[in-house]
Amino acid sequence: MPTATKPAGHAAIPPGTGGASRRGLLLGAAGALAAPRLLGAQPAPVRLGILQPVTGALAQDGEYGRLGAELAINEINAAGGIRALGGAQIQMVFGDARSNPEGGTAEVERMQGEGVVAVVGGFASPICLAASQAASRYDLPYIVDVGVSDQIVSRGLRNTFRFGPGFGAVTRAALDNLVTLNNAAGRPARTVVVVHEDGLFGSGMARLMGNELPSRGFEILETISHPTPARDMSNIALRIRALNPDLIIPSSYYAEFVLLSRTLQQRRIRPKGIYCVLNGAASNFRFVREFPDAANLVMDVNHWADPRKPKTAELRRQVEATNRFWLYNTPLNYSAVMLVVDALERAGRADRVALIEALAATGPGFDRHIMPYGPTRFVNGQNQSAQAVNTQVQDNDIRVIFPADFADARPVFPWPT
Amino acid sequence: MTPRDLLPIAGFAAAAALLPLFVTAGTWLNFMIFTLIICLAAQGWNILGGFGGQYSFGHAAFFGTAAYGTAILQLRYGVNPYPAFAAGIAAAAAVGWIIGVLAFRSGLRGSYFALVTLAFAEVFRVLANSAEVTGGAAGLLIKLDVRPENFQFESRANFYWIALALVTGALVLTRWLERSRLGAQLVAVRENESAARALGVDALSVKLSAITLSGAVTGAAGGLYAQYFLYLDANIAYGTWISVEALLAPIIGGAGTVFGPVLGGIILHSLAEFTKTLVGRIPGVDLVIFGALLILVVRFPPRDIPGLLKRWRR
Repeated sequence: MPTATKPAGHAAIPPGTGGASRRGLLLGAAGALAAPRLLGAQPAPVRLGILQPVTGALAQDGEYGRLGAELAINEINAAGGIRALGGAQIQMVFGDARSNPEGGTAEVERMQGEGVVAVVGGFASPICLAASQAASRYDLPYIVDVGVSDQIVSRGLRNTFRFGPGFGAVTRAALDNLVTLNNAAGRPARTVVVVHEDGLFGSGMARLMGNELPSRGFEILETISHPTPARDMSNIALRIRALNPDLIIPSSYYAEFVLLSRTLQQRRIRPKGIYCVLNGAASNFRFVREFPDAANLVMDVNHWADPRKPKTAELRRQVEATNRFWLYNTPLNYSAVMLVVDALERAGRADRVALIEALAATGPGFDRHIMPYGPTRFVNGQNQSAQAVNTQVQDNDIRVIFPADFADARPVFPWPT
Repeated sequence: MTPRDLLPIAGFAAAAALLPLFVTAGTWLNFMIFTLIICLAAQGWNILGGFGGQYSFGHAAFFGTAAYGTAILQLRYGVNPYPAFAAGIAAAAAVGWIIGVLAFRSGLRGSYFALVTLAFAEVFRVLANSAEVTGGAAGLLIKLDVRPENFQFESRANFYWIALALVTGALVLTRWLERSRLGAQLVAVRENESAARALGVDALSVKLSAITLSGAVTGAAGGLYAQYFLYLDANIAYGTWISVEALLAPIIGGAGTVFGPVLGGIILHSLAEFTKTLVGRIPGVDLVIFGALLILVVRFPPRDIPGLLKRWRR
């Protein structure tokens, strides 16, 4: 119908007549009647909750998580939205979790009020635990981005999904990969010193190492703990020099690990390797850029994007173009948002229950993520193929050295003298 | 204490109890429940700090003990959450008494007492962070099992009413304290301990009663927190955040008054929520505005709400 496509503003009012012609009025009325139908053709946007701690102690991680989610949403919207929903655009509803569980819960409640179809993020385990629980009251799908606590997916919550690996899977991989790495190099490392912060997961990690390493052929010379924050690592460095271990396994946060590695470097203490697990600094480009000598050849077992996927390099370029570092939070959140989009495409409607079912049924066909995982398969909300990878700082870059399927560099171990 | 004394408390409780009938949005109910939990913690602080003049910087010790007590008894010993909650409160009261005996017998007052309470809370935090029974740094997760007999409710409104009932109970307790002999002795100790002693007041026993009561009330807030969020770690339970929240609300609302902590808690949290809405979604700016407002309120007279009301009346 030609009148329907002709903009209402074209209703002809001859200049200077000072009144509306009959034809003009008819055109205008037709246009006005058609307008809602035209607008109705535009599908309603899908609201997606992005929850990150962008104030408080975890603000840096939260910002990088938000960035990943934003990049994914922009990409989907630019490519024409969600096809199964008639090209519906995704609208981000952002919530600041304030680095604590109450903040996360409050924001989930607000997002529920704003009609989001799912919530992605949380970062820290306590926030993920509280926020996913709050979301479960409303059958609101919750996709954990980072939180590694194994409790997150063991509560029987139907709405909670984690695309990334849990603590158990990460530590198992860390121990197995260490043995493989050491054996492949002719078993140069036999003695270990574990340095850990006395809080959060540092103590748990130390206990795990204490239980598991001896049965894998390593002798733990000493387990040294330090508080967070720690101002000085000289005593620990001196103790390490006296013990002279082959391998140092640190479990500390960013500042403490940077301090430790710099102190070791200043005092010329050079073991055969530093092998970190879920370390705050060893997979962080800030550390690599600011202290390249101290960071060189440090190994870590952590979340990391698949270096072989072209999308990873593209996303990294986009992030670095904004003068920001490439951290694992960004690809993890990018992938989590893509997971929701994939489920929405399969569900065919922005309905929470249908979305939960679609998320649970995600299969190997989901290939829009950029993580180094095998075919996706969820059991009780946990992606079974999720895994951490071994990274190593080489030539001022963070490279994946293990597993071989995803590696873009060969391990340098033992360190050259 | 006459029925007339209880009239304002009954009025407040009745008005507040009706709120969930009009406000059903989860966002607001969640906000009100969290505010009530803070009000309860603040009422505990007010008994010792407001009436007794013993400023504590470590009420987290009581909050955390009851929170962990409630959680540990359920998780490790299979105790029903209600008796676990009661036992948690008793444990917090006991911790209050022990800290009181150690601090007051040594004659610690003023800033020395404040520092000792802060130190106790920090020691508890460090211990909880490494002890096996508290789940160490990984914390404790109370199993999600939504049943009223399990102290977990489908509707947030039920939890709101329970929190409100406890706040009302604490208000009645404070009113009783205000009118009782113990309350008068406590105020006498606050105003001039030496003079109170000279008049035959047993200052140590009065202060011990106050810190025990204070510990129990703040402990109730900790137990509620554990049951509401179902997750605890050392920084949540014994972190300085709750010590600061507990003392800020009565100081703003009027320390040593019955309604001061509730008024302060509601005003502070509403202000925080208002600044959050005001600046939209720019993260952190609301905290800056909130902090600036707080500095202005505390820096310039009349400093608290009752002072402001007095000035208006003149």
